[in-house]
Formats: sequence, structure tokens, C-alpha cells
Amino acid sequence: MRYVFQFPDIGEGIHEGKILEWYVKPGAEVKTGDSLLKMETDKVVTDLPSPRSGSIAARFGKVGEVVPVGSPLVEIDIPGLDGDAAQAAAREKPLKRTEASVDEKGFGVVGTLEVAGDAARLAPSDEGVSAAVSTAPSRRKSLATPVARAMARDLNIDIAAVTGTGPAGRVTKEDIRLHQSGFPKPDGPKEVIHPPETEILPLTQMRKAIARNMALSKQTAAHMTVFEEAEVGSLIAIRERFKAGYEKKGIKLTYLPFIIQATAKALQHHPLLNSQLDLEKGQALLKKSIHIGIAVDTEEGLVVPVIRDADRKSIPALAREIQEIKEKARLRKLALADLQSGTFTVTNYGSLGGTYGVPVINYPQTAILGIGRIMTIPVVLDGAIVVGHILPLSLSVDHRLIDGGAATRFIVDVIRYLKDPLAAWLDE
Amino acid sequence: METDLIIIGAGPAGYVAAIRAGQTGLKTVLIEKERTGGMCLNWGCIPTKALLESAKRLESAKHAADFGVGGIEPDRLVFDWATARNRSAAIVKKLTRGVDFLLKKNGVDVVSGEARFTDDHTVTAASRSFSAKHILIATGSIPAPPEYTVPPDRILEVRNLPDPVEIPRKLAVIGHQAYAVELAHLFRLCGHEVVLLAFHDRLIPPFDPVLATFLENRLKKDGVEIRKQPSISALDERGLHLENEIIPCEKIVHAPPRRAVIPETPFTLDRDNGFLRVDRDLRTSIPHIFAAGDVNGISELAHAASAQGLHVIDRIRELPPTDPVRLIPETLYTHPEIAQVGTTEPQLTEKGIDFKISEFSLHANGKALTEGESDGFIRVLFDPKYGEVLGVQIAAAHATDLIAEAALLMEMEGTVYDLARTIHAHPTVSEVFMESAWAAQDLPLHK
Repeated sequence: MRYVFQFPDIGEGIHEGKILEWYVKPGAEVKTGDSLLKMETDKVVTDLPSPRSGSIAARFGKVGEVVPVGSPLVEIDIPGLDGDAAQAAAREKPLKRTEASVDEKGFGVVGTLEVAGDAARLAPSDEGVSAAVSTAPSRRKSLATPVARAMARDLNIDIAAVTGTGPAGRVTKEDIRLHQSGFPKPDGPKEVIHPPETEILPLTQMRKAIARNMALSKQTAAHMTVFEEAEVGSLIAIRERFKAGYEKKGIKLTYLPFIIQATAKALQHHPLLNSQLDLEKGQALLKKSIHIGIAVDTEEGLVVPVIRDADRKSIPALAREIQEIKEKARLRKLALADLQSGTFTVTNYGSLGGTYGVPVINYPQTAILGIGRIMTIPVVLDGAIVVGHILPLSLSVDHRLIDGGAATRFIVDVIRYLKDPLAAWLDE
Repeated sequence: METDLIIIGAGPAGYVAAIRAGQTGLKTVLIEKERTGGMCLNWGCIPTKALLESAKRLESAKHAADFGVGGIEPDRLVFDWATARNRSAAIVKKLTRGVDFLLKKNGVDVVSGEARFTDDHTVTAASRSFSAKHILIATGSIPAPPEYTVPPDRILEVRNLPDPVEIPRKLAVIGHQAYAVELAHLFRLCGHEVVLLAFHDRLIPPFDPVLATFLENRLKKDGVEIRKQPSISALDERGLHLENEIIPCEKIVHAPPRRAVIPETPFTLDRDNGFLRVDRDLRTSIPHIFAAGDVNGISELAHAASAQGLHVIDRIRELPPTDPVRLIPETLYTHPEIAQVGTTEPQLTEKGIDFKISEFSLHANGKALTEGESDGFIRVLFDPKYGEVLGVQIAAAHATDLIAEAALLMEMEGTVYDLARTIHAHPTVSEVFMESAWAAQDLPLHK
């Protein structure tokens, strides 16, 4: 019998999505896990897999259409099952809300978006400076009315980011409405009048998510940034020596693998910067794994795929992986898993020619390292002026958890490993 | 005398505002021309409820035999107005004394006399002059005078009930509002012959028509005659003359909509339909003069007046703004009682708000059956999207107490899911409220 597959309601993650491409036509036979369509949500561009095997009886929604969660996407004719049973059978797995259902078969992927919190986007600013923000829902427990909670879930609003006006700061449905409409208060900003020469640019799902999460990070974390310079003459020499060899194997050896390695190594000694802050419980969560997110520029906005266990990977492995994820990002083929679980972020605006920036923390992480372009400038070495190679670094930390001392000690370690890459390989 | 706040009128708006003002350190003068507690405590809410309780005792005594209580001869039961009034008076005395004590305890200067404005900051009373930064007018209301000719000695008003006036056997109650219907039922339960003359088709606005219909049927069943939209010409020895009939009655009970009592002022305060016009802060057209309670026409309910009184003090103390007229539970002490809170069905329809209704009868409720009070229902109007409870209507013996749970739930923007999940004690009538929430999710247990 017929089963209608609806855009799954997965709770806090998503409330609408844009159909980018259909992979199936009415009449097509599909198997469980086969991709039905490509959907852009404010978290990710992802393929929606079929929850059941059968033939496509009908398809709903055109390419480019924005559809809310819960709207039907396809009707699948499931042989041998009657209507209710078909719905029940299909509902068993894919619609289940679970935090750990990144399942190998592929279907149910959307159901994992609730934990896609670490998936991140980068937003370029006017100065070519980037900053990363996270789409993670804040874990702080807010006082809110039941209806306000239901609305926040439904509208994909982080309730912790909403200012409550009820008794004891309780978030009410009116507060959610105002938050949703973008107006902080009823008597807040007046309507924006567009002069005739202004072009109105509708925001993509991704841009909306970036906007929300940037604001959340800035409102929540107490940002502090330290600026440093690293003399990387030896690093340049090492890279020059091995570049050609890598090239032959099809790997472009950039400075990024070295920077990731230096950062990962330094994080081993400074776990406070590889953490998350839970003020509500009065604790910091120091992450044992070091998963470093890398800001990648794409046409739709910046995404932050994650290099998992960066501290345990060799330079060739890092180089290869960076190349792969950049390519995936460019082709919009990143899966949710590629965007999850980052514990620290590196943003390399140097590759675009930028020098300094004040990165925004990829909340709920607590630190982000910004990398500028290497400048060839005169430096004083042993009393003589020589040609120096200076790599500008900016480290933003959440001062609620990390003081200036800790931040400086960390970045000095990073610089040590950049100046002397051998130390990164030989240090305990 | 220089003070922070002058409050004119010591009814539920004025005295509550005065206590809170005193509590929070405002130097406050409370001026009352009659008795502290105002209409509600002295002549309205409390005395009528005391009398209604006596009437309900009479009613239950009639059915005592059904409950296994022998020795009562229903035919010999009489309603003793004198004793019922004395009991009522004792309660009133106790409560007004309590109010006087609380005012004193909180340092409120209570002045007995009629207040007159000298200017917008100065009021005289009892040959004393008071000036203040803020003034609260809480002077209440009186019934509009009758639009028909009736000798004054043949008119009864709710205010007269505590007095030792004779209540004749045959009465016509004129009015359609909640308190008119309540009085009609009171007299009927006490054994009087009662005709209710309602100027409107729909009784007890602003109650939901479902409650109005329920109550109308109940009144008829209990023997209250109802005439809708009568044209009254006169009252003479034969009775009350309508267009096509004469209703035999000795006195009429005048229970019309009420009018604001506004003190004379040497300046103008804007009015709406005879009531003082106020803004969201309950400020009149002169911002440092507030108006709370019946006088501003927002509500005729005592608890609404008290809430408004508190609201005014919050405004004077410059606390964050709130809405003074949000959820006001409305209660009617008939038998069974009627209560509602939130939005009614016609209001939701008019506003174009999407809603669903879940209704549950008391007929199968254990507690209601043991009490012999199973005539009634609980109705929940809710938003189908999030399940938010938008309105609750109750007809039940203790509806006026049951409504508190609904008011709290709605104040917290609760949903039918919260209501259903809350464990309700068994056996209680409140279980019906929970059941209605399960029914809202198509999961009723006892339906």
C-alpha cells in the first residue's frame, strides 16, 4: 500500500528546507536508503534517503521550492502492506528522534541533525576577515512556558538566545514571536525603508543559520582576542623541500597541515582551549579528542568541516584530508558527519590574502585560531636585520573560561611548533 | 498633608493597592466614604455568597433522605432570612476587621469621608487636605437607575440584601448579567417565585454561550421563569406590567449593568461610555492620576479590581510593564457554579484563531456522583498546533475553585499535554479537567 514520506520533524534542528534536486521520478523503484532528493536546510545540503523499498507513486514539491517540515515529499507504494501498517512500519526508524542515529544504511540521516550542533559555517566580513559560528543549540536551561518551548522547537529558535519578559525572565510565546520577527521589543526598530536603488537579497537557509549563530556566539561568549606573530622561515624551507614529492602523489602541500598539527599538539598541552563551557552546571567540558574544524569558503557561505583526531594524524594524512574536504565543500557534498563534533576551529583568511582578523568563536567551542598570510618583512635576528617570514595569528577565546594567561601560553606553544616543526613531531 | 499616594475608595481595588503601597514604603492615604472593603466585602460578593450558601444548604436538606439522612421533612423546611443574614453579617464583620488590621499594619492612613479634588494633586476629605505625587481613583460603581417607573419602596437592589428588608414571596429580577442571574437563582433556591426579565437574549455576558445555555436550562429546571427582552411599563398592585402580560410580584430586584462613580474634579478626565478612560498602565488622561476597578469599565469583578490595584502600585514603583487585563477568571455562584477563564468560543471565532474543543461531562465522575452533583461539564478550548489551552469553561458544584487550576495553567502558557501529564488525585472533580486534556489528544480514558 501507499506510504507518504514526509520531511521528517527532527525537533530543534530544522523547520524548513529547499529542494535542490530530485533523484527519483514517479514510477521509479527505490530501495531503503536510496537517495530520493537533495535538500538544503540551514544545517547542511543533504540527500534524503528513502525509509522504505517500493515504487514512487507520487512526488511533491518542485526544485527550488522551500518546504516546511512535515510536508509530504514522496508517496511510496510498498508492496504487501496496507496503509496504516505501511505508515507504522516506515515510521519505526526514520522518524525516531535520536541523538545517535547516524546510521550506516543512510536513512535517518536527517534525524541526526539534532546533534549536528557542531556543524559550523563561516561568515566572511567586509575586511575579508572570517569568523566561525556554530549552529549548536545552547545547552543552557531556560525558563520558558510550554508553548514557548514548542514554538521554539517548531521555528528552530534557540530558546536560550531569547530574552524572556515573563516573571523571573520566563520566555513567553510573545517573546518567541518577537525574536522570530527579528524585533527585540514591540517598540523596537522601526520598519526599514528601502531606497529605490537598493537590491533586496533574500537570505538562504545557510545565511539565516549563520546570522543566528553568529549572534548567539557574540551574545553568549565573552570574546577576547590575542594577536601574535610567528617567524616561520624553517617551516617554509621544509615545505619547499617536500612540495614536489607530494605533488607527484596528487597532494598539494600547503601550510595548513602544519598549522593544524601545531595547533593540535598545543591543544594536547592546553586542554582548556579544547572545551565547552556549561555555566548552568558550573563546569567546563574538556574534550579528550581533538577534532579541528577548518573554515572553507563556498559560494553559499562558509562551512566548517572537521578533521577528526587531528593530533593523531601525520602531515601527509592531514594534507590529503584537507584537500578532500575542501573539494567536497566546493561540490556541496559534505555530509553531516563531516561537520560534526568539532572541538576547536582554525580559520585561514591568509589564503584569501588577509592579514589580521578577530575571529568569532565557533560556539559552543571556546577558542578559535585565525591565520593570516605569511609576510616577508625585515626582522632583527641576532642583532642583524635579515629577511623574515612572519605568519600573523589571532586567537579568540571565551574569557568566561579562558584567561589571557592561558590564551597566551597556548599561542606561544603553537608558535613554538610553527617555528620549529620538528618539535611538534618529537615533543611528548 | 504631603504623601506619595492618595487612594480614593477602599474596595477591592483601593484597599489592596493601599496594602501593597504601604508594604513597599509608599506613604499612602486611603479615603473611604462608607466602609473599608467596599461593595464587594460589605454588600456584594461576600454577603451574597453567604446567603447563597444558606440557600444551597436548604436545597441539599431537601435531598438529605436520598443520602440516607432521615428525620428531615422537606415540606417543613423554611428559609430563615434573619439567621442567614446574621451569619452573613458576622462573616463580613470578620473580613472587614481583617482589612482594617492589614491597612493599619502596613502604615496606611485611612480617612473616613468623601473625597473632593481641589486640584490634580490635592484632595480634601473629612476637613483635611492631602496632596500627593500620585492619585488612584478606585471609587467603583453603582447600578444604573431603572428606565421604568417603580415606586422606590418596591425596588430591591443587591445592596439591600444584608438589610432587614422583607423579601416578598413573588419577585421579578430585572437584568441579564451574571449578578442578576445569581440573585434570581438565590431567591428561587430560598423558595421564592422568581421571574427573570432579561433585556438580552444571551444571559451572563461575557460567559461563553455554552455556559449561558447550560445555566438557563438549569434555572428553568429549578423553576425560574425567564422572559427575554421584555418591555416593562409599570409596577402596580397587580404586578409588573409587560407588553402582553402582568407578572404577579410585589417587588422587583433591580440588577442592571453598573455605572462608574466618579468624584467631582475641577479638571477634566476623559471618559468612555461614562467610565474613566485609562491606558495600559491604568493612567487616566492626567498621567499621575490612575483609575482601577469598576470605575474604569474594564471589568466588574473584584479580583480584576484587586489585580488592577496592584498593577497601579507596580507602575508607581516603575516596575517592568505587564498587562493589567490578561487572564481574569469569571465566576458565578449559582447551583451548580459556573466559571470560565481565557477566550470563549465566539471570541476565538471572531478573531479567526484556529482552535479545537474538548468537552468532558461530569456524569461519570466518581467524586461528582458521590456528592450528587454530576450535572455539569468541563470544556477546554485549545490551539491545535501547539496544544496551548486558550480557554476553559466549567459548570460544576465547585467550578469557582476548579477554575484556579485552569487560570494557572493558562498564565504559564500551558498546553493540553502539560494538563494531561499532571497527575490529578482520585476521586476528584478535577480529574475531568485532566480527562478533557486526554480527550484533546484523542486519548480519552473514560469516554
